Amino acid sequence: MYVASRGGETAIQNAEQLYRDLIGQFDVATVRAIQRTMPYLIDRVMGEGSLYAPELAALALAQSGGDLYEAVLMLRAFRSTQPRLAYAQPVDAQRMFTVRRISAAFKDIPGGQVLGPTLDYSHRILDLAVLNAADQTTETRRHGATLATTDNPKSEIENRKFPLVADWQRDAGLLPHLPEHACPDAAEIPDVTREPLLFPAPRAMRLQSLSRADTGGVLALGYANMRGYGSVHPTVNEVRLGYADVEITHPITGEPFSIGRVRVSQAEVVTTFKGSDDRPQLALGFCATVGWNEVKTIAGSMLDMAMDLPEPHPSHTEEYVMYHTDPVESSGFCIHYKLPHYVTFGSDLDAMRGVGEAKKVKGLGDYYGDGSHLAAGMPGTYSENTPLPNGERLGEGASS
Amino acid sequence: MKTVAALAAPNAGYSYAFLDEFAKRELRRRTLKAIAIPGYQVPYASRELPIARGWGTGGLQVTLSLVGPSDVVKVIDQGADDSVNAANLRRFIARMSGARTTTDALAATIVQSRHRIPEERLREHQALVLQVPDPEPLRGVEHDISKAREMHGEADYGLLWLSLYEQLVRYRRVTLGASYPALVHKRYVMSPSPIPRWDVPKLHQARHLTLLSAGREKRLYAVPPYTDVRPLEFDDVPYRVENQRDWTCFRTGLRHKFMNEIPQPGGGSTYEISDTGFVEKVLKQTSGVSVPSATLRGSSKTPEVSTGATYYDDEGRFYLDGYLR
Repeated sequence: MYVASRGGETAIQNAEQLYRDLIGQFDVATVRAIQRTMPYLIDRVMGEGSLYAPELAALALAQSGGDLYEAVLMLRAFRSTQPRLAYAQPVDAQRMFTVRRISAAFKDIPGGQVLGPTLDYSHRILDLAVLNAADQTTETRRHGATLATTDNPKSEIENRKFPLVADWQRDAGLLPHLPEHACPDAAEIPDVTREPLLFPAPRAMRLQSLSRADTGGVLALGYANMRGYGSVHPTVNEVRLGYADVEITHPITGEPFSIGRVRVSQAEVVTTFKGSDDRPQLALGFCATVGWNEVKTIAGSMLDMAMDLPEPHPSHTEEYVMYHTDPVESSGFCIHYKLPHYVTFGSDLDAMRGVGEAKKVKGLGDYYGDGSHLAAGMPGTYSENTPLPNGERLGEGASS
Repeated sequence: MKTVAALAAPNAGYSYAFLDEFAKRELRRRTLKAIAIPGYQVPYASRELPIARGWGTGGLQVTLSLVGPSDVVKVIDQGADDSVNAANLRRFIARMSGARTTTDALAATIVQSRHRIPEERLREHQALVLQVPDPEPLRGVEHDISKAREMHGEADYGLLWLSLYEQLVRYRRVTLGASYPALVHKRYVMSPSPIPRWDVPKLHQARHLTLLSAGREKRLYAVPPYTDVRPLEFDDVPYRVENQRDWTCFRTGLRHKFMNEIPQPGGGSTYEISDTGFVEKVLKQTSGVSVPSATLRGSSKTPEVSTGATYYDDEGRFYLDGYLR
């Protein structure tokens, strides 16, 4: 009985203990192992938790036994207590250390297509040999662990700077030019984690929301758009994974310097613009997140574009997308239905039972006056002999 | 020597009452605005808390922005102090603020509640914090919140009235259960949160302050003391509270308090008063037997033995004459 008549706190402690027993012991070695071997999982938790902290993300995963929503919540709840000490410079995708960058729009692009680390063209076959081998350090594991988990990529990667496909399109007049004005002061950019969300939302808040959105939620809505619940037929202009320096201005010298390096991913999609402009141009959809998450950035950039349409599908309006893809809010509300609802349910039952009673009571007198105004029919509304939506006639119900 | 890693190590400590001062400042400013404009939904940023979202984080943020070490906090869920969720929120508030806790509604300075208002009349200098899942009373007739906001701005509640009228036509009565919409200070229609209809009248001209906060939806609003709160009702179709007039509490033998219906094996139901703090006091008063959970951890004040005046008397009459027709 979960409304324990006495001792709710003991019940909580016992329940948590059972959970801990189930997932077993873990220590710092477990945390390190998770961080080292599951970079994509870590990235997902960090992206949705909107906090770049691989160690804490690994800890959250260990503590939650791998429950993704719980891990994200833990990271978010930690993040919300942290002060904002400084604002970083915007990450310039051209300057970041790109390890993977592909475009579906052109066969070849300036700088070239770079497959980088990906399983895209691999056979997804379970490597059962791992289970049988005494030494489990297989080639796949060693290889997978080195590139993705170190935040200090090899020097040849650092030297590879790739121009943006969109810049080429801008120069060719296919995309509108970026506004001339300089990037606004970072402190002036609306922050969805510190300010109320109102609609229409500033674009900054939209991109922030997508960045921290639930991967599955963004995918579901984005997939609906791709399948046809939207009038855009986008092409992936560019998907980019890389390492970006987090540059802040030194508080004393005023010089910009890097305080660390983070994995980031971004995607751009383009579609033909159906505006009133004489010269048709492409329109761009964009999504970026910390960590490497191609599914989310591709689906997110399609949603970004869909939200811009004059009359988007109801499930692709800004409000719909932003409210329903937050992992903490959607999962939290979903599981809140486990909480007792007997008061509200009782109240609803009362209203439902009352319907039957009101129909039995002649003239509704017990509940709502004598009901004569209803039985007589109000001007311009249901009269005594007009069938009700449920097929009955008002006169019959009131007197039966 | 201090290393950069040491300096950058995550801080293990949390601010007083968990929220950092910036978050508290924002919440307090929004709360003041909400009090100044009764029933108006004030948007706020809404921080994540280490409690699942949708489990009272809206109410919790308001409570954490109000609470001080000298406060006495009562937390109830569906009327019960010992519900696991109430127990969990209570121990979090106490752990983070050092506030004392109680089950006595009249001994508390802050009552955080999910979906109930206590049976005893709250007093001045008490704050009732209601957890709100959906702050928008217009959601049923307009799910676009930008449009709903405009409708509130223009006091355009026609669709809401129409929906009540349609219920009358279809079912011969208003079929709303909990969350019955109410007009505050003759201006804004608010959702009183999913409290039963029994509890909505308690907000009218109340002596205490009521703060309502929705964490997921990022809106908070207030009913200041001594403010008009009128559930929507037609002149000729008066508002009705739940019909429990024939129900008797099996624990206290009392009637005319809000009851939980408890299904019995083999059919039929038994009933108990939903407000567990009130029941505790009644039992103590009548039998003299002490109830173990009455004094919670950290609570130094013994709960009052005698019950205070209730909103509904033993005959089921509401204390404000003529309010319920």
